[in-house]
Amino acid sequence: MKQMNQEDWLDRELREAAPYIDDEGFTARVLQQLPPLRRRHDLLRAVILLGMAFLASVLAYVVSGGGRFVGVTLERLAALPALWVFGLALASGLVIAAAGATAAISRSRASLT
Amino acid sequence: MELTDADLVARVLVDDDQHAFGELVRRHQSSVRGLLRQLTRTDIALADDLAQQAFLRAYKNIRSFRGEARFSTWLYRIAYNCFREDARRRKELVGIDEEQLQTQHDPQAADPGLRHDLMRALNLLPLNERSAILLCCQNGLSHDEAARVLDIPLGTVKTNVLRGREKLKRMLADWGPNQVK
Repeated sequence: MKQMNQEDWLDRELREAAPYIDDEGFTARVLQQLPPLRRRHDLLRAVILLGMAFLASVLAYVVSGGGRFVGVTLERLAALPALWVFGLALASGLVIAAAGATAAISRSRASLT
Repeated sequence: MELTDADLVARVLVDDDQHAFGELVRRHQSSVRGLLRQLTRTDIALADDLAQQAFLRAYKNIRSFRGEARFSTWLYRIAYNCFREDARRRKELVGIDEEQLQTQHDPQAADPGLRHDLMRALNLLPLNERSAILLCCQNGLSHDEAARVLDIPLGTVKTNVLRGREKLKRMLADWGPNQVK
């Protein structure tokens, strides 16, 4: 009981030793230093990226003779032995899993900074 | 109804709402500045600079806050990292050692009494014990949360709190509950 009183006393004193600190312009100083809003730039970037992707797709379609290569590739893929197809699927899965794990690790590291 | 920290973070994320971030700063400035003042051994100017740096870093990295911990715990972690980086940099530049730090910056020296002795006793603790005591006993974090902030194992936090408490009790023996009239 005596031990408990000692700990209660110490905790209480420690909490009371940390009084509320008045803002006194601190928040305003932080807000002044925030970087400018990026929303419009983000929107512009998205429009440019989508536009470029669309143009690239159209160009690829035209250059490849109406996307004939897709059909040809599918035919080739269908002609492959089952083991090969399984191997390709496994390799693709592993690559995607590795990319996902790398992204997750880098995000969790960033959140801890 | 008052918005929760999570609501305010969502507003910052979705609308880039700087007013919402301002509210978060207003809510947490006292505890973050208080923690840094204690960590820097009451160097108020340095502590406030580090606190500003911590809030700016929090704003820039707010997308990485996933709500798994309390927002305040996440902020403490950033503030503690700012403090560690600054301490390392200053030590490299000036060669400040622990002993020097213990004898400088004590504006409360003129304030006699228990508060002064408690602050002095806290400042005499090694950084690992002081940080654990400040987070767990003063700021009310659980041992688990403190382990996240300090990036050390849970068992180490518990040991540091225990050792720190023992040392504080010994140093403040004259002020204990049985001594104060």
